[in-house]
Amino acid sequence: MTKSFRNKFLFSSALLSILLTGCGDDNVDNEGTGDVSEDAESDTEESSELSGEITFWTASLSGDPFDGYFEEIKSDFETMHPDVTVNIQDTPQNEMEQRVLTSLTGSDAMDVINLNPHYMANIASQGGLLNMEEYLDDDIGSRFVEGAFEAGYYNDELLALPWYLTTTVSWYNSDHFEMAGVENVPSNMQELYEASSAITEETGNPSFFQIINDGNTIMEKMVTIANGENIVENGEAVFQDNADILEFFDTVQTMYSEGLISQQNAEGSIGAAQELFMNENLSLVEGGITFLGPVESGAPSVYEAAKAGLPLNGDDAPMNIAVMNLAVPTNTEYPETAVAFAEFVLNAENQLEFAELAGTVLPSTVESLEDDYFTDPGDSPKASGMQQGAQALERARVLIPLTENNFELREVTKNTFVEVMIGDISAEEGLNQLAEEWTKSFSNSDIDVSF
Amino acid sequence: MKMTKNKILLYLLIIFFVFVTVGPFVFTLLMSLKGPAEGVYTNIFPRDPSLDNYFIAFRQARFDEYLINTVIAVLIAVPLNILFCSLAAYPLARMDFKGKNVILITIIATMAVPFQLFMAPLFNLVGNMGLRNSYIGLIVLQVGTAFGIFLIRQSYLTIPKALEESAYMDGANKFQVWFRIILPMIKPTLITLGIYTFTFTWGDYLWPLINTTDNEMYTLSIGLAQLSQSFDGSNIKLISAASLLTTIPSLAIFIWLQKYFVGTTKGAVKG
Repeated sequence: MTKSFRNKFLFSSALLSILLTGCGDDNVDNEGTGDVSEDAESDTEESSELSGEITFWTASLSGDPFDGYFEEIKSDFETMHPDVTVNIQDTPQNEMEQRVLTSLTGSDAMDVINLNPHYMANIASQGGLLNMEEYLDDDIGSRFVEGAFEAGYYNDELLALPWYLTTTVSWYNSDHFEMAGVENVPSNMQELYEASSAITEETGNPSFFQIINDGNTIMEKMVTIANGENIVENGEAVFQDNADILEFFDTVQTMYSEGLISQQNAEGSIGAAQELFMNENLSLVEGGITFLGPVESGAPSVYEAAKAGLPLNGDDAPMNIAVMNLAVPTNTEYPETAVAFAEFVLNAENQLEFAELAGTVLPSTVESLEDDYFTDPGDSPKASGMQQGAQALERARVLIPLTENNFELREVTKNTFVEVMIGDISAEEGLNQLAEEWTKSFSNSDIDVSF
Repeated sequence: MKMTKNKILLYLLIIFFVFVTVGPFVFTLLMSLKGPAEGVYTNIFPRDPSLDNYFIAFRQARFDEYLINTVIAVLIAVPLNILFCSLAAYPLARMDFKGKNVILITIIATMAVPFQLFMAPLFNLVGNMGLRNSYIGLIVLQVGTAFGIFLIRQSYLTIPKALEESAYMDGANKFQVWFRIILPMIKPTLITLGIYTFTFTWGDYLWPLINTTDNEMYTLSIGLAQLSQSFDGSNIKLISAASLLTTIPSLAIFIWLQKYFVGTTKGAVKG
């Protein structure tokens, strides 16, 4: 009886497995992805007209006003290429990397992805992104802002094209500045200290916040402060001898100990800074031009008092550019169509329309940036940020190259900076410790890079 | 006098815990009622309370579509999980067979494996089975859960064997004993598992996101993430409203069914 039951059970399980497997989608290609280069060649030979069904993943661009915009993009592209079907899907930004990496293990992944450079580096290092150069005109680079276009290169391959950009500006509460009699945005560490002291004395609250994020902002700041001098030479950190970087670390420590910087700064995220700014517990901060997004809805009166200025390190230091890219995964079935669609999304006209809708980003094409919308954006707080950002763009580029050990560098930088800020170690000790860790990381990863 | 002091301390403690647990919820509610001209941190209470944020959040996060998907997913997941877990747990509690303990330990051990570790293989498996963008695909992680099997097995163990033996003597077969005698006796556990399954399915985020390549199949938690991860920062008032909209059904179900949490087999057998 037991044996019979067991046999029946085994037979039923086997049958169920076969049936369930048989339910699989017939369209799914279980044979893997094949060689993309070969696909590209055969596609080119067979037909010059684009075809195929492609999926475009945007990152946190759903709802109003973007749904209508992307519908129009889809419809225009499908009209231009009747054999092409475009699906557009939005993914929450924070999960984009994980989602892309998981999808790449399957055969029904997306064809065009909206990525930030950090995610791009990780996915590219695992061979997940297509070299787009062979599908694009040789002069493609001339259409884009130079620094933004260069951000798409990884190991000398063009793995992404730039979409929308932000760069660093300073944001301040003009009411607080007025109360403290501060007339200009500081342009060096000494001026920053003096301005912050005056404001804190007047408001009774901390006045400055140094955004740290995951350490990347501090790394970028160090390159900006070095102002043309390398902070890493052939895989060896050399910033510990830079007097200006030392002054930056030292001043931040002093400001923290004197209460000019909030204790919440140890967390270091832009969200924490936005919250303090809305609370009026912060008067001055360096951030992207999107900084005011939540402030406008969360603290309307603070938003009205907000103004943008140039970044805090003078008007000639190199600034970082944050680029949102479009990339094409290697396992796309339709590389030509995917690249053509990416190009279409990124043309000057579409980018200008996108930037106008978004309201707090800059386009990456040179032509769109020449539009009145950016040269004369009006006098709203967001517009002032846009104008300052467009100016800073002239000296903006990706300051930290995308190396495999990037995550490690960011982590150790954040930890060390916080240790210095809260006074656990001196600025000098912190920089020496950080330089040692960076050099070790480059050496372990066998990376010979200078920046 | 001593009693009074103790009582005061007890009440203070209770008030403290109520404040800590309910406080953020109330604060979220108050923020969600503030109008567009009002700052989130300016006053605790809204000057001119309005439900506008709820309507805007409902539209922007496509709550109507995502709510239907989530409800369907829950309606499939809850009965299936209860069915499969109660079936799987029965032999582990009541039958003797070779390797029973190994199977039990293996099932329990799977609870310690992080989802990220088997996410990619599961993604491929589910894709190859044609379950991408399907309701079954959304809930594969919530059906036949190790937690559910263990919970029900423990509950089966509390039932006196004498009850089953008398049912067998009356001529019932194994299925009848399980279905008519045992299952009704563990009703509180089944409802507890149902509530857990409901809560997990309702709030499940990463797997539905990974396994869905069509926006139409997104669930409420994904809609909420889309709203809160807006590319230029988030509107806190809208997020507060959306969070509450997402939480209310879950809370209502929990309150409705909480009375079933208490229940035992005490007194089922005399002597």
